[in-house]
Amino acid sequence: MPELDDELMQRFQKGDEGAFTLLVRRHQQPLVNFIARFINDRDSAEDLAQETFIRMFKAAHRYQPGRAHFNTWMYHIASNLCKNELRNRGRRDRYRVDSVVSNGSDTDGSTEQVDLIASAPADASFQPDVQLERKELRKAVQKAIAELPEEYRLPLVLRDLQGLSYDEISKVLELRSGTTKSRINRARLMLKEKLKSFMEPL
Amino acid sequence: MNCLQAEEHFSAHFEDELDYQTLQAFEAHLAECEGCRHEYALFQESVKAAQQLPQIDASPYFMQTLQQRIAEEHCEKLPFWQGLLHVLNRPRWVFSGIILLIFATTSIYFYQENLFDKEPQPTAAYSAKANPQGVERTRSSSAQLTSQTTLSNRGALPRDVGGTRISNVMSAQPLQQHYVLKTVSYASAPTRGGL
Repeated sequence: MPELDDELMQRFQKGDEGAFTLLVRRHQQPLVNFIARFINDRDSAEDLAQETFIRMFKAAHRYQPGRAHFNTWMYHIASNLCKNELRNRGRRDRYRVDSVVSNGSDTDGSTEQVDLIASAPADASFQPDVQLERKELRKAVQKAIAELPEEYRLPLVLRDLQGLSYDEISKVLELRSGTTKSRINRARLMLKEKLKSFMEPL
Repeated sequence: MNCLQAEEHFSAHFEDELDYQTLQAFEAHLAECEGCRHEYALFQESVKAAQQLPQIDASPYFMQTLQQRIAEEHCEKLPFWQGLLHVLNRPRWVFSGIILLIFATTSIYFYQENLFDKEPQPTAAYSAKANPQGVERTRSSSAQLTSQTTLSNRGALPRDVGGTRISNVMSAQPLQQHYVLKTVSYASAPTRGGL
């Protein structure tokens, strides 16, 4: 039976660096997925995921197993890093837009992002047209999620893409349970509205 | 229950979290409201589509890069000598260091060997020939020294070379004599007519 995260963390606190390696191996995939979906950028996601683990490595001595779970602690750090990243990007984009306007020219300055849909593994068992349809749907869903306001996007990604419980999400976001539930419902309603044109013919 | 209230319970119904009374009221409303039925169907479809988005994998080098970054940050935090020890603690560094040390020692050894091999060695016959007057020797001076002091006395060497240095030799310790020996050997080479 695999060791629990808290047990591994306690081993790491006692000086066993192999325990931390195990934790990273266990959580790297979901963390990269969470960050990539939240900030809609795969390249930066790897970097931010590594930064999250580095912060956990440095702050490991402060970790108290009974107080928080490793999972919620990890997502808490990661979501704060993501928020900072998005804020910094917002500033950079504003600056870029301002400079473009002041220069009087408009170039194709859209941020180059890895196509998260295209990078998904293809399912060979489907017909090409069905595959194309699925790919289009994924693209539309990812776009719709990316367009949600940050305070709604974060709980939605944690719930529907990462599969965290409401209780865990409340701890990650430091919100009351009722607020978390209402935000997730609101986020899903927004998502439905954005996907309506795509879903209607179905 | 009206449409707005029903909408607030979409998520709870989707996840089977409604209590019995609310569930009854919600389903009763859906049964009589086509608009809410349609909206709820769309809601379910969109949530399922989001849940079925494929997992984005980390690159194969994720762990390696992370370990490098942690090691770098760890070294930056340490004082210089501890950071150095941390680096030297790695087996490959120790192995490389030993190889480098052996190479350096061997190179220095052979370099010195070659240097002394090129040193011109006056022969005993030359010494005897060049010292007819029997100049007084210091206790530890060799046959070579004798020959050069003689040359100097005969005026074969420039004064600034032969005069000053050889006078030092006459009263110098054995260690200093070796230095003079090298210098004078080169300086006196033309007088021997061969080199």
